[in-house]
Amino acid sequence: MEFETGRSPAIQMTPRQRWSIALSYLLLAIGFALGVNQRDSALNQASIYSNLEAGFTASYPARWLLEESGAYVFRVRDMSHRGFNTVIEVSTAPVGADTSERNILDQLSLQRSQTLTDYTVLGYAPYPLPDDSRAVSMSYSFVARDSSPFQEGLSAVVNGLDILSIRRGQAVIVAFRAEASIYRRELETLRWFIQNLEF
Amino acid sequence: MSSGIRFQSNPEQQGAYSILPVWRRLVSLLLVLAAVLLIIVLVGQFLEVRFDPRFERVAALALTPFALLLWLFISVLPEYRTERPRRRLIGVAVVSALTASAIGLPLAQDFMRISEWLPLQSVFQRVLGYSLSAGVIDTGLKFVVLRYLIYPQALRVRSDAIAYAAASAMGYSAFLSVAFIWRLTPAWDIAAVYLLANLAVQLASGLFIALGIIESYFSDAPLLVLPVNIAVGALAGGVISALLGGFLSGPLTTAGNTARPLLTFAMLLAALALTLGTVYFLYSNSERREREAYMSGWAPDGI
Repeated sequence: MEFETGRSPAIQMTPRQRWSIALSYLLLAIGFALGVNQRDSALNQASIYSNLEAGFTASYPARWLLEESGAYVFRVRDMSHRGFNTVIEVSTAPVGADTSERNILDQLSLQRSQTLTDYTVLGYAPYPLPDDSRAVSMSYSFVARDSSPFQEGLSAVVNGLDILSIRRGQAVIVAFRAEASIYRRELETLRWFIQNLEF
Repeated sequence: MSSGIRFQSNPEQQGAYSILPVWRRLVSLLLVLAAVLLIIVLVGQFLEVRFDPRFERVAALALTPFALLLWLFISVLPEYRTERPRRRLIGVAVVSALTASAIGLPLAQDFMRISEWLPLQSVFQRVLGYSLSAGVIDTGLKFVVLRYLIYPQALRVRSDAIAYAAASAMGYSAFLSVAFIWRLTPAWDIAAVYLLANLAVQLASGLFIALGIIESYFSDAPLLVLPVNIAVGALAGGVISALLGGFLSGPLTTAGNTARPLLTFAMLLAALALTLGTVYFLYSNSERREREAYMSGWAPDGI
């Protein structure tokens, strides 16, 4: 046991100490605001994708992974998310003169119902594009499982939204998919992506 | 403020009370805890002993209560053998843990979404990011807890602030450790590293908060001393958090990348030693200066 030099326990705080505490709160608030600012700039940092051959220019979140090898023109995925990675996929398909948007969406649904588990179409709606033209959207859901059967983990319910627009004899399909739990939040990214998509 | 200071030349004659020494107890606690966790890491690394996953999960979760029990036995229970114990230690730890649960973790995880953007940044950005997000949140919340529970009503001597800051760090880090281990279900040895990492981060920031409170309250230091110490606390937590990911993940090779718990453990011990050494140096220096200033005002006859 040690004896330490003692001090009166009934000391009140001086005005300087009170100001010091107030200044500390102010500093913490400023630090927090700077942190939010850094978060926003990191989350909203964009990269530009340009494909002159297919006629696409797009901005996508810089932290997402860009892929071009597949049955699509390009797709970007949020690899930082655990579980199902949020994805925006842009693809094109040739269309005949009398092919309607609904025909193409139905064809997509038929293909997906054979490859995706518990695929269900939730509805169709018009989708306004930034150039004031109208596209058609189809919302759906399915259950995603890990591709490796040896990986542990639960299946995830995924919500999807296809935005289809027919231009210059081809259908442009922007397919967006995200885990149901974060779907609404991630829709903001899709809206921002569509705003900056040129084709 | 100086009028309130009352050092006693002869404690027994002038009614000084016995107070449990803080630094020795804190270092003992860290040494015992680090030794036990090191054994777990070494067993996991070199003997490659693997138990049933359910047992490993329970054992990993049990590490946190073990650390709290160590703290109780080494730092808290001996208090009650003194004349004037620090009665709010458990209260501070519990409130800090509840604060981490109710505000700290949701704010860092769901609002700041740290895991989505910070790990991908450069080292400098990570240090800055962790300091301004998790660092500010953790340090701020611990400061608020200490401000309203002990500052100034429970401060009698300088070491009180250190003891309460350590209690706050123990409580806060205990909740974070349980949450991480519960969610990520790491192997036993990695859970040991997580536990030490959380404690190192929270203790580093907590000790700097304590230093700021000590300087502000006992030395009536200039206005900026407390805020600067809080900022240094947030930075210290940020630096350790930023380094943690880089140290724990090994380089990517053709065989994949493996965790490096031993290297991370060494880094955390070095960070703890550096923080404790720095804070102790500043603490003793400040105490010595005040003692000298007071003694120089004494007449030779001690009056």
